[in-house]
Amino acid sequence: MKRDLPGLSWPRLNDSSNQVACHFCDALQQAPRLPEGDAAHCCRCGELIYQNRPRSLARATGFSSAALVFMLIAHLFPCITLQAGGTRTALTIVEAAMTFYHDGSPLIAIAAIVFTVVAPLTLVGGLLYVAAPLRFGIALPGAVTVTRIFQLSEPWSMVEVFLVGILVALLKLGSVGHIHLGTGLWALAGLVLCTACAMAGIDRLELWDRLEIALARSK
Amino acid sequence: MTPPRSAAADGLASCHLCGKVSPVTLGHCPRCHSTLHLRKPHSLARTWAFLVAALAFYLPANLLPMMTIGGFGGDSSDTIMSGVINFWHKGDTLVAAIIFTASILIPILKMLALVWLCLAASGVTAASPKALSRLYHLTELVGRWSMVDVFVVAILVCLVQIGAISTVTPGPAIVSFAAVVVLTMFAAMSFDPRLLWDRQHGIVVDEPADLAATHE
Repeated sequence: MKRDLPGLSWPRLNDSSNQVACHFCDALQQAPRLPEGDAAHCCRCGELIYQNRPRSLARATGFSSAALVFMLIAHLFPCITLQAGGTRTALTIVEAAMTFYHDGSPLIAIAAIVFTVVAPLTLVGGLLYVAAPLRFGIALPGAVTVTRIFQLSEPWSMVEVFLVGILVALLKLGSVGHIHLGTGLWALAGLVLCTACAMAGIDRLELWDRLEIALARSK
Repeated sequence: MTPPRSAAADGLASCHLCGKVSPVTLGHCPRCHSTLHLRKPHSLARTWAFLVAALAFYLPANLLPMMTIGGFGGDSSDTIMSGVINFWHKGDTLVAAIIFTASILIPILKMLALVWLCLAASGVTAASPKALSRLYHLTELVGRWSMVDVFVVAILVCLVQIGAISTVTPGPAIVSFAAVVVLTMFAAMSFDPRLLWDRQHGIVVDEPADLAATHE
């Protein structure tokens, strides 16, 4: 059965092939256009191939800009303040890394900065840079490179792991002193949530299809 | 319905970055300009290499102290396992379980899973590719969580830096431990799950890297 539901799916270039190969088992199959909310699974191995997310570009734009705001707050305010025996220490991500750079191992400090500051910023900033103009069918210069880079940085963004690290560290400190949970901690939680929603907001194939159209139009 | 063919059997490669299907002879993806490969190049050799490297770091990561806590009662060093045992004795069963899972169970299970996947992909053991794909999916998902112990030490060092009550200094194990996590992540990334299915469908892709290289 053939149905034409142009309003319900993202557009594609007419001359582009309608085929898709599963990334897990390489089964070549037709890629039908889906109504909003539907997902296509591989007919051989059952893995999710692509999904038509509702209001994808709006969600990706909204959540990634919110994530950027949370990121700024998380770096400005301390996550935890520890008061023990007349001394007071506050923890922010960058400060933790700086201390570690001087007192511990510089290599780990650099890795920590990459995993908790650089990679999340690339991920969220890159998505915003590409998704926001795409709402108007525009691809900004370097959009292809930016998409490449933010997709590669995705597995290295580990803010949620850092958040669990804070919780474990709190339990480990236990009775050492008075612990105050700061604004930065809640901002970090918001950042984790918004990053996840932004990345889940738009399908990778949809982003590339839309990008392809925007690039073809600007030529 | 006819059973699906593998794209590689038709000389088609799906771009690893943007997912577009194009003939591998093009060399580069027409959409995002990534190099096209039928399969990830040298997948098994790379995965084995990363695994062996991770295994080499695994022993120092677990045997050397993660951090040293200095206080009035003298210094005490904690390895990962002794940290877990301390939490368990203090009654923090949940934290003990989290650290045990993230720092001990996940790295070793991940390495074992990748060894199994490599063996299955090279035809030594036979198992259903569907179940193995699921295993691969899982190894990719959980890998990053092992980093939690490294972050815990970094946070503690920062918070307890002023030596009023005690001092925390990071131990030599932390670099090895981070290396294990990063190396196993690279190992998982370089493994190609499509190799599991190729064996079943009799597809032989010999060195797609060379094929792509000739067009550059």
